[in-house]
Amino acid sequence: MQVGVAPLVAALVVAFFVALLLRPLQLGGLAVAAAFLATMYFVSGVAFSPLTATRKIIIVSIAAPVVGILIDFAFKPTRIGAVVLALCAAAGALWVFWPVLAQKPAAEGWLLGASTVVVISFMVGFSQRYLAADAVRAGAAGLGLGLATGVAAILSASATYGLYGIALGAGAGGFLLPQMITGKKSFAGATFTLSAIFIGGLVAAGTMVLAKLPWYALLVLGLVPVGARLPAPGKAPVWLQAVLLSLYCFVIGAAACALAWAQGRNFDLGFMSLQL
Amino acid sequence: MTKLAIGLVAITLPLAAAAQVESYNIDPIHTIPYWETDHLGYATMRGHFNKISGKFTIDRAAKTGTLEITIQTASLNTGDTDREARSRTRDEHLRSPDFFNVAEFPTMTYRATSVKFADDSPDVIEGNLTLLGVTRPVSLKIERWRCGPDPRTAGKRYQCGGNATGLFKRSDFGMKFGLPTAIGDEVKLWMSFYGFRK
Repeated sequence: MQVGVAPLVAALVVAFFVALLLRPLQLGGLAVAAAFLATMYFVSGVAFSPLTATRKIIIVSIAAPVVGILIDFAFKPTRIGAVVLALCAAAGALWVFWPVLAQKPAAEGWLLGASTVVVISFMVGFSQRYLAADAVRAGAAGLGLGLATGVAAILSASATYGLYGIALGAGAGGFLLPQMITGKKSFAGATFTLSAIFIGGLVAAGTMVLAKLPWYALLVLGLVPVGARLPAPGKAPVWLQAVLLSLYCFVIGAAACALAWAQGRNFDLGFMSLQL
Repeated sequence: MTKLAIGLVAITLPLAAAAQVESYNIDPIHTIPYWETDHLGYATMRGHFNKISGKFTIDRAAKTGTLEITIQTASLNTGDTDREARSRTRDEHLRSPDFFNVAEFPTMTYRATSVKFADDSPDVIEGNLTLLGVTRPVSLKIERWRCGPDPRTAGKRYQCGGNATGLFKRSDFGMKFGLPTAIGDEVKLWMSFYGFRK
């Protein structure tokens, strides 16, 4: 049950119904949080002591949609707002990972810490600024980031983080599906950005800090939301836009997964030998 | 004269008692904690840790002792170290947050709380195992115990050695990946150990 497909089926079902039911309230973004928490319940249970990095991610995953709802209702989306949100996300990431980073040799700790801060602040800021207003683009970014993070985590030796990542992807899929079926775009906002992109970034960074994901693969994962900003025919049906934008994100995510798989291997390029 | 004798005895008695407490450093080369657990309900998987340090004391007269062991969790080894065509080895998976989470918890420790003797030898050690930041009581049964001069140093070094076994449930420490069917919950410990007297 814990390591099978059950958590992911639960995540997808919960996400789909949450997205469907809360769509009129513009709270469909909660589908991602619901999917993530359902998976977390099946995989690791509910416990917060000792307060590990993984458990901090779970706490943040509970707080993120609440903060997102408050932001969506209280503030209009602005460039400054996106920057502030990005900085807060970076601070949150440091709170999660600092105790682990502090135990590592200085050079490694700084490299991993800087990668975490750069990637998470970029992803959250970019998504809030350029994707949050378009639920299909945001959904595609969440789907691509979640699935890519999940696969990369499994390739990087952590099935638990793999399930967490895929659950986020399933949640974003549950957010996209009603839009694709009805042909009407939903609302993403900070509720979705923080639940999907921020938590996805934390799961990806956790795979780097705690497992074997190389830092340069994390940087590529950080570019997944950019794929959802690439051109898509605005007059095309919603389902086609969703498929196309998701494909863009999958390609970038696949590159990150390839780097995760290649980590530590030797490649004979004929004229030189390359070790990743 | 009698008072002087009594005084001397009074002074030397505590020193003699203190001298009966022998202190040992764990020999990291020959002290090897092995563990085993069920795998898929078909076979038993075994592994061990390569890096260990610690110390123990023993007071044969008072039949008490202490024990402190620290194990570097990243030093685990199940013999699967080559990825070949796979994305990761079993040892890498065991080091991940799914199991030992070595980046966050680089050590596990065992501290004795009491030592029970059978005749003149330690028999059962009651103590606390700290793993993944969780501390739970775990007993160690001393199955073999012998002390004497180390033949490798022509008797110049005094040592104690033996074997100990224990049992615990990994879920008690929050290590739940693969439960309940893929990977067993019960973990058996088997440890060879040596200590060199200080």
